[in-house]
Amino acid sequence: MSIRVLLKYILGYVKITVEGYYIERFINICTTSKILIWNLKREKGIKLHLNIGIQDYYRAIKIAKKLKCKVKIEKKRGLPFLLNRYRKRKIFVIALFVILIALYTSSNYIWNIEIRVEDNMQLENILEDVKNAGLKTGLKKDKINIEEITNRIRLSRDDISWIGIDLKGTNAIVKVVKAKEAPEIIDEKDYCNIVAQKSGTITRIIAQNGTALVKPGDEVQEGQVLIQGTMEGKYTGTRYVHSLGEVEAIVKYEKTEKIPLKKEENVKTGNKEEKYQIKINNFQINFYKTLSKFKIYDTIEEEKKFKIFSNLYLPISVCKVTNYELEENSKNYTVEEATEIGTQKLEQEIEAEIQNKESILGKNANVNETPEYVEVSVTYEVIENIGMQEKIEETYDQTEEKQ
Amino acid sequence: MKKKNKIERMLEIPEEVYSNVPKVTITGFNELILENYKGIIEYEEFFASISTYIGVININGYNLNLEKMTNDDIKITGKIESVEIDRIEEV
Repeated sequence: MSIRVLLKYILGYVKITVEGYYIERFINICTTSKILIWNLKREKGIKLHLNIGIQDYYRAIKIAKKLKCKVKIEKKRGLPFLLNRYRKRKIFVIALFVILIALYTSSNYIWNIEIRVEDNMQLENILEDVKNAGLKTGLKKDKINIEEITNRIRLSRDDISWIGIDLKGTNAIVKVVKAKEAPEIIDEKDYCNIVAQKSGTITRIIAQNGTALVKPGDEVQEGQVLIQGTMEGKYTGTRYVHSLGEVEAIVKYEKTEKIPLKKEENVKTGNKEEKYQIKINNFQINFYKTLSKFKIYDTIEEEKKFKIFSNLYLPISVCKVTNYELEENSKNYTVEEATEIGTQKLEQEIEAEIQNKESILGKNANVNETPEYVEVSVTYEVIENIGMQEKIEETYDQTEEKQ
Repeated sequence: MKKKNKIERMLEIPEEVYSNVPKVTITGFNELILENYKGIIEYEEFFASISTYIGVININGYNLNLEKMTNDDIKITGKIESVEIDRIEEV
């Protein structure tokens, strides 16, 4: 029964009132002539409310006329009436369908590429490489060959240890793990020398295994052998070992910089103008005149992509363009100011390179003045462990064995 | 009313299926389903009398609704107070 009523809703039904003296006969004739009526309710007096399907309505009217009953429509319900209401708003319905179809088709394409690098490390130009490998916005999803793209990216870059591409909605998530530059680990069984990593002056050398070739106070160059992986014994002769040891040296870090005494700077005046534009894939709609009212300005663009759910991006994005007005300011530095700026800058640069700040022995700044610029050079002296294990070539081994 | 024959008795087919005997089902006190009815004699808000092939069933109550009607069953909802049966003398 309820299925029949539901079917009636789809086909449409009307709620009518029948007024007359032969209402029982009306009900009986309706049921015998197989007209489905439901929800009959008698009101006080001679009224009867009932629901009837629209295709049976005209037959019911004929019956009611024969019985001299009045029929009044109270409510129209069902899909046919609902659709009839929208028949007058054709454009609305068409637009609705167009939007639905556009949404469906656009969800088959990639509209956003997101790159996630593990541990927030920076990888330069990764987006360009991804694009060159064939993953671009606006590509159809099923035409993307993920394996091929990952292979291409891996070939083009050597600082990636792992890369994976996830297609979620219209969003392509590229997950990258940066390769750590691990020093070459030399097996304990292999013979090795200890070589200088940086040039400097030796302050301390302890050879646990192997022969020390340098003394404290010696100046060494980068790549020079400090502890050789050979041992000479009275009876055993020379034999190769896996040398171990610590070598500390004073390493000099030096940097120079020229600082001009006259400098032109652009300073923000604080005035700014905001403009908006809509981008549909590569098509731009501007809501402003392209020319800015400022003479000199900085432009910052912020792009926001539309998305429906967290991963369903649309090819539409809103761009906010902010222009900051700039003013040209020429500044004259005195010699003292210039040297201070130079030394501060250089100190910061060098300190970023030094890993262990506590081992800094001292710093030295030299200033060279000329009429146009000041040349500043800063030197840091740092005690560092400069020993680095380097494998002894196999050829040594073989010659040794032959002897 | 016709008598049950042997096969029907053996198969234990319910009586209302093969004959015109009405079946009244009252669920709770607010719902009554009547199968195998002939027609409606009278219907008011407080009273409904429905004819069947073996007699008339009178229903008294308040706010009586004929909720669903088909060719052979009828569902009445509302506060039912009493159900009376008027037998037709068998000829």
